[in-house]
Amino acid sequence: MKVAIIGASFAGVTAALEVRKHHPNAEISLLEKQPQLGYIPNGLHLYLDKKIDSLSQAYFIKEADLEQRRIKILLESTVEKVDTANHQLTYRHDNEAITLEYDKLIIATGSSQLSHKIEGSDSDRVLKYKRLKGAEDALETLQASQHVTIIGGGQIGVEAADLLTKNGKQVALVENMDYVLFKYFDKDMIQPIQEEMQEAGVALYMNQTVSSIKEAGDKLEIQLGSGSIESDTAILAVNVRPDLSFLDGQIDLHMDHTIAVDEYLRTSHPDVLAVGDCIQLPSCMGEEAMYIPLVNNAVRTGIVAAANLVKPAQTFNGSLRTIGTSAFGYHIASTGMTESDSLFSDYPIGVKRQIVPANSLPFAEEVLIKYVYNEETRELLGAQLVSKADVLEKINTLALAIQTNQTLEDLSQKEFFFHPTFTNTIETTNLVAWPHIRRDTDES
Amino acid sequence: MKVENFLEKHEIREVNLVKKLVLNGGEVSHNDMVDYLDVSRASLDKDLASLAYRLEPFKESVRVDFDGPMITLFMSNEFSLAQIYQVYLKESVKVKIISYLYRHQEFSIVQLTQKLMISESSLFRKIKELNDYLKEFQIKIRNGRLQGEELQIRYFYYQFYWYVSDKPTSAAKKNDDQVAKLLQATTNFMGINLEPDGKERLKVWLHISKNRVNSKKKIYKELRRLMEPYMEDHFYQKMRSMVLRYFSRYSIEVDEEEAMLHFVFMLAFPVLTEHDFHEYTLLRARRAPIATIDTYVVETIIIHYNFRRLPYMLEREMFYYLSQIHAKMYFLKGAMEVYEYDTILSKEKQFTGKDLVSFAEQLRMISIGKFEIEESTEDSLLKMELLKYISLLAIVTFSMTKIKKVGIDLKMETIYTEALNHLLILNMRHINGIHVEKYQPKKDYDLVLTNAAIKDNSAYGKAEVYVLSEILSPFDMKNIQNIIQNLTL
Repeated sequence: MKVAIIGASFAGVTAALEVRKHHPNAEISLLEKQPQLGYIPNGLHLYLDKKIDSLSQAYFIKEADLEQRRIKILLESTVEKVDTANHQLTYRHDNEAITLEYDKLIIATGSSQLSHKIEGSDSDRVLKYKRLKGAEDALETLQASQHVTIIGGGQIGVEAADLLTKNGKQVALVENMDYVLFKYFDKDMIQPIQEEMQEAGVALYMNQTVSSIKEAGDKLEIQLGSGSIESDTAILAVNVRPDLSFLDGQIDLHMDHTIAVDEYLRTSHPDVLAVGDCIQLPSCMGEEAMYIPLVNNAVRTGIVAAANLVKPAQTFNGSLRTIGTSAFGYHIASTGMTESDSLFSDYPIGVKRQIVPANSLPFAEEVLIKYVYNEETRELLGAQLVSKADVLEKINTLALAIQTNQTLEDLSQKEFFFHPTFTNTIETTNLVAWPHIRRDTDES
Repeated sequence: MKVENFLEKHEIREVNLVKKLVLNGGEVSHNDMVDYLDVSRASLDKDLASLAYRLEPFKESVRVDFDGPMITLFMSNEFSLAQIYQVYLKESVKVKIISYLYRHQEFSIVQLTQKLMISESSLFRKIKELNDYLKEFQIKIRNGRLQGEELQIRYFYYQFYWYVSDKPTSAAKKNDDQVAKLLQATTNFMGINLEPDGKERLKVWLHISKNRVNSKKKIYKELRRLMEPYMEDHFYQKMRSMVLRYFSRYSIEVDEEEAMLHFVFMLAFPVLTEHDFHEYTLLRARRAPIATIDTYVVETIIIHYNFRRLPYMLEREMFYYLSQIHAKMYFLKGAMEVYEYDTILSKEKQFTGKDLVSFAEQLRMISIGKFEIEESTEDSLLKMELLKYISLLAIVTFSMTKIKKVGIDLKMETIYTEALNHLLILNMRHINGIHVEKYQPKKDYDLVLTNAAIKDNSAYGKAEVYVLSEILSPFDMKNIQNIIQNLTL
């Protein structure tokens, strides 16, 4: 069996490794547009955070690891056309068009930071550094810049603002909505971070849309709905989007131009599957599928697609849009539905907020937790954590609780270890109201 | 633009032929029809044959027989003229062009000639005809696309899918999960409740929005200009937040203008309930153009009728309707003339009197002047708004009318008076705003009807007196109606 996989980031690489596991004799070809594979997207942040010494260390896998598993790697190979009827695709390598036949095809082309609306955003001076080449260029530009404007207050934008501020840059951040990280957090939860951002000198432009970016000598002029910002450079940190123009109408797409897949991640063509950032995923936030371009989903869909390559075996169990990061001295994490997003769902929603000490030591940091739950069944639907202590891992427990339909009462009985250095008398995510150690606000 | 503009000349004649039959109790002679349609006998025969052919698939429900001396119409209880219109519209090439444009956003001449099975030259002719009608919407079909301001394009499609395109078929198409979700999100997010009609309207609009959200090269220049006074409007801000949040769940880069489009739609069409609209008015900026004109017009009406105070709920109702009229005038261009302007106007005139119409026209001119709109002859929106002002004034005058008391004081033998009183009361039942009864001397009346001329009217107090010439004569009845109309105004 010949298996072609387009795209060698997390989804494509995972799919390749898993296909090998299921099909020891398959002929696997992994095509990648970039000159390298396995680069950790936004590795630049690791570098700016001094977690790595050079961008070349930002890798999650090396070519050799894949080749060892007899996966044929075709780098600098841009797929230009897929002919689903004849089971073949055409890619360009070294200016030559080459045809590759396949029995099964997995599309894992990922996504890029791009904007069709912001005039001038395609300029080289507007940094996009999801890939290595972009990161190398960005690093050089950022080192020579003092004023940086970040367009988009999502996870990338807020992290970048934090790291650039720490690196002595003057940062402005423009966000469409009235607060940052709105996809993952409610406004009340993000308030402390936003205050900290302002304290650190970040100029916040909330509720503002960038209409164009103009080059004015060695400066950039970022035009907003009202007013403008002058800056040495700009970072495009808007939502990522897939580019699937090579499919040319052969496979059904959704209205938002992502590939339509069933629960087995099969596309409208039986021998083509799609994974990662080019598909919508079923979510816990209503019955509607959503576009959730996160590495965790890329990896998990890669696993599921490989399992379903020949015949449907495993359904994809959905995404909770779980994220965790740290910025401006806070560790913040979110999973599942936010209170703001609950307006898009049919559930009767209840909300609880608690402030809990992170451990049993004096001067323990506080953890602010918000639970969003189904008021009727009391099942947990979403959770958000904000703390100066590193509590990020706890979000995974809560994500599993949502995935397994745990109720608030189940949470209060959740098994935990006790150690005064690491835990409170009751574990942080065991939802119990003890007046002296927990401050409770029931908002249901 | 009129709905019939989508049809060919002979098709319009065929529909008019049915209309004439409906108006004439289902039967018209060949000669009368020839006169009415202003065609030759041969053309009429051709039209009849063509009509019969078109209606053949529906012969159980509708049929036109023309073998005998008379042309007769048979129509089942469930079938109506509107459905006959649909039979023709469904086959209309112009309707098909618009539907194709809607579905595909773009077309090549080759694609479209094949799809519609017409020649290139007739396609060009049809597009030219359509462009003539689209002028008032300030949009046009060019280079295989519908071009113009995005708001005008969506508004046109809305009119098209609400009034022209076959509703049952498009309703089935509208059964779209995403649209249903967006509809629910809108009501949840905006904190509003929708009545079935408002919901249906919003559904059509959202369907169009979904279809257009990804189209390229959208123009918002005029919309942005008109929206300037509304950027801080709380309803708009809420809408903006909802739209951005909703589309952040998809791989769609949405413009904030998308929210502006929804905002305009919600203001200009009867989507919000009167209650939700009232909630909005409590917070809306009073100096923004629409609110300013609403207030100005309400005050003009109050002064004109010398009302001391309007009932609270009536005033709310006035603002509700006026705001829709003014939002349309302020934001939109062009209209689909669904109702025959002249017919409705003459009916309204008959119903409400000339004064009302001229006052409505005065109000319309005030708004046009205040909004600084240049009225062009081709834009039917401003023309059609007159009918709405008239209706609004009718609502106001009806609500403010006090019931007038009419006493019947017939001087003849009791046996006759009893019977005639009943007959007169029955005959006057259709006149609004009056209470008719047998005259009772101790009561006050606004009008007394009697059959005997009397020298001294003082017996009837302040009541106006009308002496019947011939009881139940059309002449008297007409005069009485006029008196009552003058009394109630």
